Amino acid sequence: MQDYLVYIALGLAIAFLIKKYFFKSKKKGDCDPDCGSCH
Amino acid sequence: MQGNSVLNIALVGNPNTGKTSLFNQLTGLNQKVGNYPGITVDKKQGKCKISEHLTAEIIDLPGTYSINPTTLDETIVLETLLDDSNSSFPDLVIVVAEVENLKRNLFLFSQIKDLKFPSILVINMSDQMARKGITIDIDALKKELKSEIILISARKNLGIDALKREIENYENWNTEPIANISEKIDSVFFETIKTTFPEFSLYKSWLLITQQKNCNFLSSKLHHKITEFNKDNEKVGKYQHKETIYRYQIINEILKKTYSVDKNEATDLRSRLDRILTHKTYGYIIFFGILMLIFQSIFEWASLPMDLIDSLFASLSELAKTNLPKGTFTNLIAEGVIPGIGGIVIFIPQIAILFLFIATLEETGYMSRVVFLMDKIMRKFGMSGKSIIPLISGTACAIPAIMASRNISDWKERLITILVIPFTTCSARLPVYAILIALIIPDERVFGIFNLQGLTLMGLYLLGFAAAISSAILLHNVLKIKTKSLFVIEMPNYKLPSFKNVFYEVVEKTKAFIFGAGKIILALSIILWFLASNGSDNFKNASEIVSTQESANNLPDEVLNKKIASYRLEHSYIGNMGKVIEPVIKPMGYDWKIGIALISSFAAREVFIGALATIYNVESEGENVATIKERMAAEVDPVTGEKRFNFATGMSLLLFYAFAMQCIGTLAIVKRETKSWKWPILQLTGMGALAYIVSVITYSILN
Repeated sequence: MQDYLVYIALGLAIAFLIKKYFFKSKKKGDCDPDCGSCH
Repeated sequence: MQGNSVLNIALVGNPNTGKTSLFNQLTGLNQKVGNYPGITVDKKQGKCKISEHLTAEIIDLPGTYSINPTTLDETIVLETLLDDSNSSFPDLVIVVAEVENLKRNLFLFSQIKDLKFPSILVINMSDQMARKGITIDIDALKKELKSEIILISARKNLGIDALKREIENYENWNTEPIANISEKIDSVFFETIKTTFPEFSLYKSWLLITQQKNCNFLSSKLHHKITEFNKDNEKVGKYQHKETIYRYQIINEILKKTYSVDKNEATDLRSRLDRILTHKTYGYIIFFGILMLIFQSIFEWASLPMDLIDSLFASLSELAKTNLPKGTFTNLIAEGVIPGIGGIVIFIPQIAILFLFIATLEETGYMSRVVFLMDKIMRKFGMSGKSIIPLISGTACAIPAIMASRNISDWKERLITILVIPFTTCSARLPVYAILIALIIPDERVFGIFNLQGLTLMGLYLLGFAAAISSAILLHNVLKIKTKSLFVIEMPNYKLPSFKNVFYEVVEKTKAFIFGAGKIILALSIILWFLASNGSDNFKNASEIVSTQESANNLPDEVLNKKIASYRLEHSYIGNMGKVIEPVIKPMGYDWKIGIALISSFAAREVFIGALATIYNVESEGENVATIKERMAAEVDPVTGEKRFNFATGMSLLLFYAFAMQCIGTLAIVKRETKSWKWPILQLTGMGALAYIVSVITYSILN
């Protein structure tokens, strides 16, 4: 069971990073303080 | 007007010009406060004896910047001046101006003169002229404005009698307009206005047309007539804008001939402070003194809360390990997620202290003086004083700083500013600097006052700034773009900082740092933990392989377990990846574990510490959990037995992070702002090469 949870967490983490760096954000204009790309 | 037994006088002026003080001087106790009909805005009226034979009813109108109203108060001024059926309609207008902001005050005066009221300009606070270094050629100004002018000090009761004597003579005042808007803007259009509304003066007609919605006194017939006129004329809005520009052009011309400010002659507190804070020698000494105070405080004040946070996360990992059901997911939480997040939360105190200082300095008005001070230097390096705002903003984050460079009108100056901003020490570098400095620089005092760690941090900030300036000089000479620019900045008054504003700024900036970086670090910690906790056959059989290898040595269990954990990490997926890049990073003094953290932090610099925390935690499986700093301090080179983070490696890493472009977000924003991939690629390769060369040289010299 714990192994499955690890794979789910891993999948979510990879998906999050791909979305963040390979897909354009819809927000334009000033830097969104929560965008994370500046930190 | 001549038949009036009592003269109606309207007191008009910008807010805070001392209009009410003059009203009090003129009327004394003969005042009454009522309401304007239908609204709750105060209507202050009072009687004033001008001379033996002349009495005046004075109305103190609400403060306004122009008679193009945007608020209810300002609408009252417009209505009072345009509605001649009103019992308060003035026979003459006193426009109160303030000696320091004459330009803005004259805008309103020029409008009132154009309405052809007998009007007088009263310049208040004239007693402060000498202290502020202001000189006014009154005779020339009278001639230019075609008006009478009186200098007064309402608070000190100076010039009030002269004003009364001048009012006695009001029927001889010149009522010619100052600005002939019709000729300058569109004579044909304004001729149409004259013929359509022959019953009014030209400027009154123009105000009725442009301010129709604010004129509640209009008859339905006139209202309809104006509506019909506006239907056929789309030029009205555009011409209003032109009118403003034209008025300021005239005012600027007049003031150029009649008004001067010599800051060297000024002796008031603001001027005295300005002279010191923007002085060509003391100004810089004070600025660097303040910087030193900031960086000393970052280390002095933050150390206790940082140690507490570090211990808290170490205990949390321990707690998770002992209380959660045993298994891989528990390991992920205890060895990956908690240390990774701890690696960022630990820096909250330092980030908060940095922004506490920056927000306080901004609030007091000091930052504008820094901009002014630095303009002299920046110009020599191909940038303008306006570049200093993005460069200072860059201490928080390069992305909004690059966007803040949009207010630099000159393209070459703007491009240079964009290209050098990433050298300034952003808040993402702070965690890396802080932990490395704590590891390699002793916590000692210099000259008994300065903390050596604080001085080192300040040195790194200055190094970043120096790198930005040096690159700017290089770019200024290399880029062949011809331009010319002007620098204009308004200096705000000094004020005590608002605790609320500073608090909100600190909370907002700290939150942005933690939540923005936190999500990336959490995701990367999970991936790094997985790559460090899994591997090929050698990884899976680590226990048997090491036990067989070491069987002849009869090692104690503790030592044997440590050897197994190291072997396992070395043969994990991440270990294999690290080994591939090791030859490239070895000349910089790094092993493959640091290399992995370096690559992970390409997306965002502060990931470096979290990545190392995750890697070292996986390796130390089964041991008592220590803090990040303790783990890094305990890490040794297996070949030499020396500390991994010694002075040479630490300095090499510090300089690598000072120069390298480790931020995907910044590259993306540079591409967007310059509309070309050429510039972000130049930044990435140029800064990367510089960082690599400097790190290799530093390590070679110090090792």
